Amino acid sequence: MPQTQAIAEIDFYSDTYKDAYSRIDGIVIEGEQEAHENYIRLGEMLPEHQDDFIRLSKMEARHKKGFEACGRNLNVTCDLEFARQFFAGLHQNFQAAAAEDKVATCLVIQSLIIECFAIAAYNIYIPVADDFARKITESVVKDEYKHLNYGEEWLKAHFDDVKAEIQEANRQNLPIVWRMLNEVDGDAAVLGMEKEALVEDFMIQYGEALSNIGFSTAEIMRMSAYGLVAA
Amino acid sequence: MFGLIGHLTSLQHAQSVARDLGYPEYADQGLDFWCMAPPQIVDDITVTSITGQTIYGKYVESCFLPEMLASQRIKAATRKIVNAMAHAQKNGINITALGGFSSIIFENFNLQRITRIRNIQLDLQRFTTGNTHTAYIICRQVEQGAQQLGIDLNKATVAVCGATGDIGSAVCRWLDARTDTAELLLVARHQGRLETLQSELGRGKILSIEEALPLADIVVWVASMPKGIDIEVEKLKHPCLMIDGGYPKNLGTKIQHPDIHILNGGIVEHSLDIDWKIMHIVNMNIPNRQLFACFAESMLLEFEQLHTNFSWGRNEITVAKMEKIGEISLKHGFKPLALAI
Repeated sequence: MPQTQAIAEIDFYSDTYKDAYSRIDGIVIEGEQEAHENYIRLGEMLPEHQDDFIRLSKMEARHKKGFEACGRNLNVTCDLEFARQFFAGLHQNFQAAAAEDKVATCLVIQSLIIECFAIAAYNIYIPVADDFARKITESVVKDEYKHLNYGEEWLKAHFDDVKAEIQEANRQNLPIVWRMLNEVDGDAAVLGMEKEALVEDFMIQYGEALSNIGFSTAEIMRMSAYGLVAA
Repeated sequence: MFGLIGHLTSLQHAQSVARDLGYPEYADQGLDFWCMAPPQIVDDITVTSITGQTIYGKYVESCFLPEMLASQRIKAATRKIVNAMAHAQKNGINITALGGFSSIIFENFNLQRITRIRNIQLDLQRFTTGNTHTAYIICRQVEQGAQQLGIDLNKATVAVCGATGDIGSAVCRWLDARTDTAELLLVARHQGRLETLQSELGRGKILSIEEALPLADIVVWVASMPKGIDIEVEKLKHPCLMIDGGYPKNLGTKIQHPDIHILNGGIVEHSLDIDWKIMHIVNMNIPNRQLFACFAESMLLEFEQLHTNFSWGRNEITVAKMEKIGEISLKHGFKPLALAI
């Protein structure tokens, strides 16, 4: 939901803000790069959908350029090494699933978890962003809804065959997301993004996606909160 | 389709309901977790009118808990309400009642300024506080309860505690315009609002709770009971009718005396069984028939295809609107809950 913090309270050019921004923007840039590569890989795994996945991957590359520009606009050098470490867990799990040709697991990681997280984070960020970044993020978030929908549709069409695999992918990867969030909640707070709101928005988005795919309310409540308290 | 946005009465209540409904992930969690929990549709509802018409609805649990207000987690509280509203709209619900504290939070924290939730443009025409129906039902309960107890309204004193609120002010307007109530006592915290109400009505005495209670034949409670107030039964009139319009209903546990009659206020009984689970959770005596009047308002608006925010804003409930919702209420088979004597 929209946050009420006045933009005037945030000094986008303070050292504290820029320091936090170097990691958060780095994560976003790396996230878009991961998404770009993951969609190319998914295109290889599902050749009949390759054109669509190439299209999605190109969009992600464009998003990456947009967020690089956001960093330059604030004279921030993004910490990409931190960002690569940050994504290492999900990256490894995606690569391992791809090597075993587990399409559903790859889609859960990229199209559901990463996209839902991106949508939640961008929606929470928009009201507290600087003017330049807000415009870019608003346009990106519209695209991300389409990417989420693409994964949803495939998983929905194959629901009976892949339900158990989706649940297992959820068990493996959602706790990683909570840990990732805890790693950067301090930096996110500096940017005016509240962890509580972020988690809630993620669970709303992820729950809606699971519902569209075919899960029941009880399953959604179980899956979307999996590992949250332990994290 | 109609919708109801509701919440549970305390963290402990929420944990036990989550356990009963088979959601252990939610049952074992503390307030921090509930502050992050998303809204959920947890019940599908079918209601048939005595006209034979059948409508369908959904219950949206907002995951709001009163402890969020008590511990000043205002952002979490407001997020729960707007996210539940967005969820209702996204699920294609045409008219949704904001039950319990939902409408109070919406009003007090000025949430109408939030028009966009993620990719949803909130359409406020799809929501109603349900307060017009609640106020109407409470007024009918005053009239019927007085009759049952042999209290003659044209000689009676009625105290309205919470008189300046949306429901309280509507109750005062109705009692003034539609009954011969001899004396109206206006009780509330804000002196300025009390004076405005008094001048609007052209009558009514402004008193403190302590002053008002011993004078009243009938007390309408539409404010939550202030902490620290102990009602001394011996100082009340005998008989005395107390209509508990608060949430949760707790007057009955505080006062037990044969001459003091407690009636759960703002509750209606439908003439036919309703197919749902949620009223078992809030401990209604007859869960398949009894419900909050504010929830029933969204059903009535759906029956009549009045997909509009019938009750909205503060202190805008007119006697004419109460009469209109009252007519519809009767037409479809809803009756005010009566005293069991």
